[in-house]
Amino acid sequence: MDPQTPIVFNAKSIRSAKARLGRQIGKTLRAILLLTVIIFVAGGAALIFVDYAIGWVLIGLAAIPLMIGEWWNGDLHHIATTKGSADIDAILSGDVLGQLKDQPTPKQLAEAIGRVQGGQFFALRFGITANFLLNVTTDDASQTEQIWRHAVAIREQTGSEHISGAVLSVAILRSFSDYESLLAHMHLEMEHLYNGIRWYEHLRELIADVKKPRRTGGIARDFSFGYIPLLRRFGQNLSEQSAGGFNVKLEAHTKALDQLLETFGTGGRQNAALVGAAGVGKTTIVHAFAERILDAKASVPDSLRFRQVFILDSSALIAAAPGRGELEGLIMQVLGEAYSAKNIIICLDNAQLFFEEGVGSVDLTNVLLPILEAGNLRVILTMDEQRYLQIGQRNPSLINALNRITIAPATRDETIAVMQDQLIITEFQRKVSYMYQALAESYRLSERYIHDLAMPGRALKLLESAASYGDGGIITANSVQAAIEQTMDIKVGVASGEDEREKLLNLEDLIHKRMINQTRAVQVVSDALRRARAGVRNENRPIGTFLFLGPTGVGKTELAKALADVYFGGEQRMIRLDLNEYVRPEDVSRLIADGADDPTSLTAQAMKQPFSVVLLDEIEKAHPQVLTTLLQLLDEGILRDIKNREVSFRDAIIIATSNAGADRIREYIDRGYKLQDFEQPFMDELISSNQFRPEFLNRFDEMVIFRPLEKPELVQVIDLILAGINKQMALQKITVNVTNDAKLYLVDKGYDPRLGARPMRRVVQRAVENTVAKQMLSGSVAPGSIIEITLEQVQQMLGESVSQPIAPPLPPVNGG
Amino acid sequence: MLFVSLLQWWYSDGWRRRAKIVSAQIDGMIDYFSIDLLAKTLFSPFRQISAGKIDGPLGVQLRAFADKLISRVIGAMIRTVLLIAGMITIALTALFGMVILIIWAIVPVLPLVGIILAGMGYAF
Repeated sequence: MDPQTPIVFNAKSIRSAKARLGRQIGKTLRAILLLTVIIFVAGGAALIFVDYAIGWVLIGLAAIPLMIGEWWNGDLHHIATTKGSADIDAILSGDVLGQLKDQPTPKQLAEAIGRVQGGQFFALRFGITANFLLNVTTDDASQTEQIWRHAVAIREQTGSEHISGAVLSVAILRSFSDYESLLAHMHLEMEHLYNGIRWYEHLRELIADVKKPRRTGGIARDFSFGYIPLLRRFGQNLSEQSAGGFNVKLEAHTKALDQLLETFGTGGRQNAALVGAAGVGKTTIVHAFAERILDAKASVPDSLRFRQVFILDSSALIAAAPGRGELEGLIMQVLGEAYSAKNIIICLDNAQLFFEEGVGSVDLTNVLLPILEAGNLRVILTMDEQRYLQIGQRNPSLINALNRITIAPATRDETIAVMQDQLIITEFQRKVSYMYQALAESYRLSERYIHDLAMPGRALKLLESAASYGDGGIITANSVQAAIEQTMDIKVGVASGEDEREKLLNLEDLIHKRMINQTRAVQVVSDALRRARAGVRNENRPIGTFLFLGPTGVGKTELAKALADVYFGGEQRMIRLDLNEYVRPEDVSRLIADGADDPTSLTAQAMKQPFSVVLLDEIEKAHPQVLTTLLQLLDEGILRDIKNREVSFRDAIIIATSNAGADRIREYIDRGYKLQDFEQPFMDELISSNQFRPEFLNRFDEMVIFRPLEKPELVQVIDLILAGINKQMALQKITVNVTNDAKLYLVDKGYDPRLGARPMRRVVQRAVENTVAKQMLSGSVAPGSIIEITLEQVQQMLGESVSQPIAPPLPPVNGG
Repeated sequence: MLFVSLLQWWYSDGWRRRAKIVSAQIDGMIDYFSIDLLAKTLFSPFRQISAGKIDGPLGVQLRAFADKLISRVIGAMIRTVLLIAGMITIALTALFGMVILIIWAIVPVLPLVGIILAGMGYAF
């Protein structure tokens, strides 16, 4: 439409008048019209019968309500667009047009939208209610033209038949000056709204399709085909199911469906193997195929029309014929019956059940292979890629006999479309309504967290589970987040609770309750976590990737544990891998092993627990191939397991620790360097000494050097260990105090320059816990008492002679 | 103005729509009685009974041929009965549809016709 040409709304046009009339003829009036026709005709006939000619008038007058009723059904109800008119009223949908008076203001438009289906659809699916639209519109009628212009453009862009309530909702929003901010606030983009209009139009088409009568061959359809009593017992007739109910058309599967029709419609081996990951919709395609060939109006080769698809029930077959010979005999009978009937297409769903030995499956290759090779009986097999390869490895001739049709996982747009179709059934069954944002969120989150299914199955699975988390029957993006948080024990939303925000803001203090100093390391991990939970991080990488360098016993592992404990919900949330166990190239397979074979593999643990701290201890000891495998994890937060499934680490903090160059660190410190002074030269030394490749080090967000602890800090470590002991003693109601000189003695005894503070815990336990145990057993302490442990007692316990205090008493130290 | 629109619709789109409904009803009947399928498979063995190939001595083959022939005859009889019933039903549906389409044309003038008949004092 030319931007210079004014857009005219003509409320006096015939179409406008018809639309208003159509709106006025409501349900009640239509019922009255029908009743009037019946009464007039019956009454008129009765009068004529009893010799009153006036009855003809009544019969004649019955024509008026009859005509009005017919007119409403055929024209006024869904008023067609007026061709050749440039006025806006010619293309407005009848329900909207019927609400409007001359020159409506934007506010009046918004009010009208609230009363029609398209507007109500947008209110429900996007939260764009009439009230919302009223808030962004004015009473200025001159602004309506801008809305019309947007509406015309949107109608063209979305291929809509009319300017419906849905189109107008978007047009009003688009006319608002700051519409982008509004949409951002609702987590939406303009393209989402266009998709919403297409969704609305698609639903209208589906409803119209359902109203059309189905032609499925009639009562004599199967007269020339054989009886199939065995198949009815051991199979499931998909054609009967599709003929009896509402079937969703999946655009995403059209290509595969056409391939199926071509395979069976032309000569050659009459079989097809649908190969694709679980969840891609292989069985759904078979259902759609059954429905298509049963539709007399569909474009289908004659040799396929009205054929019936039966899924064989493997468990029923095995149950009926427990012995191998019996089972093979039964299968031959069933397939023989299908062949003789001449109208049967057999489907072996999860075909591996018929080609391998296992629980609930039997290898019937010897029976089935000749049938498949001969290609006389039509057979569809469905199986996943892995099984297909396995079967092919065992029996290449079987694979050679099959016509393979690969089913690829659905794209985002296809998945959203499949979800929209599926919702028709889900919403009816669960008595809920889904917002568009829930669909988009289901796709996003399922792509990241659900690994056992492919798209669209994984998104559908999450969408269905979200039905239990709706608020007032409405399923929003938050419902989907709640569903995945509850089912997978992760955090995906932005931190909103007061407790969590408090915790995030004071993360450093909380961590320092467990570990001493190393403030830079504590700060970088805390910052990373805060960024993640505020939603400002890169979602396509792990929350943070850190390399902690430093001597043993300075708190590298402790920091990972503290983080897991303070924020991730306990130390058990830490996935710990000692990479000194991965020193051979073949250890890569152990790292990415399938969870079913090795539940301790990195990928298996991350699958079970995506929201966690991953600690890669002693990384310098790992084989270079293991480190190469970890590169993608550090870079993109993805690691592919041995089955080639993507495992996400994007909700994990990755901490790698290394003792590499510990002596150099100590040397630098001894020579009086501060950490920040020697950090860069130290890293360069690590690279030049070939301990780490630069591309590996570059993958980390931060590399933090941990310095050896000094004596006052070691005393604080003693305090932390004692706090832990007191926590254990709390059950016995006993408190332990250790004098300052005893603490210093413990530091001297427990500190080892090679092992850092690590031996300290053992020494403290030996000195303190043993003293307490002895006193408790001797009965010298009662519950509620405080045990004061002196230097002498510690020395005695550690087998040393009593000596003078080695240092003046220290001032009290706080826990941090 | 609206009355004119009603009449305009009645004799154009309305009539066409009614004709489509009649046509769909006939199509529905044709599908229900499987007319084309019955015609195409008139002499096929009924329900594939005795339809398979039989190998063996001449006597066995002759018996199989006779069985198949009987199956075909039974099939043809059943189909013919159904075909005739279907054709009659379809013809009646078509006739009824035609009547409706003709009545459709005179409905707008029915009030006038009623008044005239009443004026004439016509009654049973």
